[in-house]
Amino acid sequence: MGMTITEKIIARAAGKERVKVGDFVNAGVDKLYIKDLRFSKKEDAKGLYGVLLEVLQSMGTDRVWDAKRIITNLDEQPARTDRRAEGQDMARKFAREQQSILYEGAEGGIGHNVMVEHGHVKPGEFIVGADSHTCTYGALGSFATGIGFTETIGVLATGKIWLKVPPAIRFELTGKPGPCVVGKDIVLWAAGKIGYEGAINRTLEYTGPGINEVSIESRLTLCNMAVEMIAVNAIVPPDDRTVAYVREVSEGGFDILQSDPDAQYEQAYTVDLSKIEPQVAAPEYPANAHPVGDFRGMKIHQGFIGTCTNARIEDLRMAADILRGRKVQPGIRLIITPASFEAHRLAEKEGLLEIFRQADATVTSSECGLCVRPSLAAGEVCISSGNRNYRGRMGPKESSVFLSNAATVAASAVTGEITDPRELL
Amino acid sequence: MAPLVVRGRIWKFGDSIDNGNIDGVMEGVDPEFKNKVAPGDILVAGKFFGMGASDEHAPRFLKQAGIAAIGAESISNIYQRTLVNIGLPAMECPGISRLVEEGDEIEIDFTSGKVPNLRSGQIGSGDKLPEIALRILQQGGLIPYLKGQFASKETRSQV
Repeated sequence: MGMTITEKIIARAAGKERVKVGDFVNAGVDKLYIKDLRFSKKEDAKGLYGVLLEVLQSMGTDRVWDAKRIITNLDEQPARTDRRAEGQDMARKFAREQQSILYEGAEGGIGHNVMVEHGHVKPGEFIVGADSHTCTYGALGSFATGIGFTETIGVLATGKIWLKVPPAIRFELTGKPGPCVVGKDIVLWAAGKIGYEGAINRTLEYTGPGINEVSIESRLTLCNMAVEMIAVNAIVPPDDRTVAYVREVSEGGFDILQSDPDAQYEQAYTVDLSKIEPQVAAPEYPANAHPVGDFRGMKIHQGFIGTCTNARIEDLRMAADILRGRKVQPGIRLIITPASFEAHRLAEKEGLLEIFRQADATVTSSECGLCVRPSLAAGEVCISSGNRNYRGRMGPKESSVFLSNAATVAASAVTGEITDPRELL
Repeated sequence: MAPLVVRGRIWKFGDSIDNGNIDGVMEGVDPEFKNKVAPGDILVAGKFFGMGASDEHAPRFLKQAGIAAIGAESISNIYQRTLVNIGLPAMECPGISRLVEEGDEIEIDFTSGKVPNLRSGQIGSGDKLPEIALRILQQGGLIPYLKGQFASKETRSQV
């Protein structure tokens, strides 16, 4: 019986010839991502570095397992709370003392985008990260999953993690997406199809001829939202696009693995991309997704284009196509937070920032921003390009969040109500 | 040290309780719960327990409140690992919601996967944890486990 690409990566990381669903393995980690907030004392009074140093001391060392495989990013720029400033201070101290990699300021942005843009994600790698959206990196053909605070300390000390090999669900993509249909619409459609719990503790694999029509940016979105279906990981097996992108942003070689033709999938779905319309997920679950037309007339107070899900250059271009020569409806706020300073610079170069300014949108520093910080009052409605619309995610429990792609957010900010972006093309 | 066979009174919760609602000892679901729960109690939840963010703040609240074990219809991967790593045993027990009523006394045997309801006499079963998770739990969590491991081994490569 063949193996899926996820099984092959896990087997290689565990030093085994093969693994099968349900096996428990002890895998070696290729890269570890840590966000700044994990270094604060929110989760433990000693802080991550404090507990780690105690563990290292018990080993008779003060060094982490492999500093060059550890990447930290400051996800909020600048820090706005005592907690955050404390986390960033400790993150810098950790990186300095351990000589690990740290990104901030003009090099940084949202960690998951920074990891990809700086070439820390390669096909075939086994990556874990101290943030639930670490699954984003599967877009480049790696295995990637989120871990918690304590487990991060375990990886820092040993470079290893135990894991149960997950069953796989395959989405076979065919056809070509229509206008204003990108990764976000595909993944919201998929979540709507299998339900918010539909991939619990499973792997999602996106494959088929249609994947060739899906950009790297969109693949990052596809994999980013796997955790919203409670998946362990999501993966797009590497193709020419992947190889070209990874060669552009990184040096050195990598493993091109593919699923075997006789690999086993617990479930398989075929999706004709040309049939998918721009999607909107209503509160309070990302899987509560329907075609944008179903929400026509829904009034909004705020639009937000940002987050590790959808604020890359593809998204900023889509938003600019809608906003060019138009203005945000008076009384409506549109906040645009490019996913990284790299995306910010590209948007500047392409004149997109000027279009946003002319449209009366607010462009902010590159960071997680409003996805993790309250910005809504009770009764207010936001349409966001982010990944989570749980109750109270962006404000009090009486506020609500709809999710969509960046073009739909922009179109809705122009009209003041949820709008199909194709009507404004 | 967390015992691997836990007996206690249960508190029953529904499906789809995410990390944000677990924070503050299930505050998002039952603001009074933190005043009702007693050390040694068992939390029984429905499907998809612990979905959402991976923040460890919320599960640590459960441990501090004295919850001795968790049995749920299903638990998100990150959450189950986190619970084990902080020394709070948690097992997926499909069917447990039908097996128990609020206030029942049950036992969860993390070594055998058996879940007897001591009131009704019915016996449910769960998805046994791997050996490594049981060893971590026996030491009271990943940090004490690692410290103990290194104390008895020469290099980290042997862990």
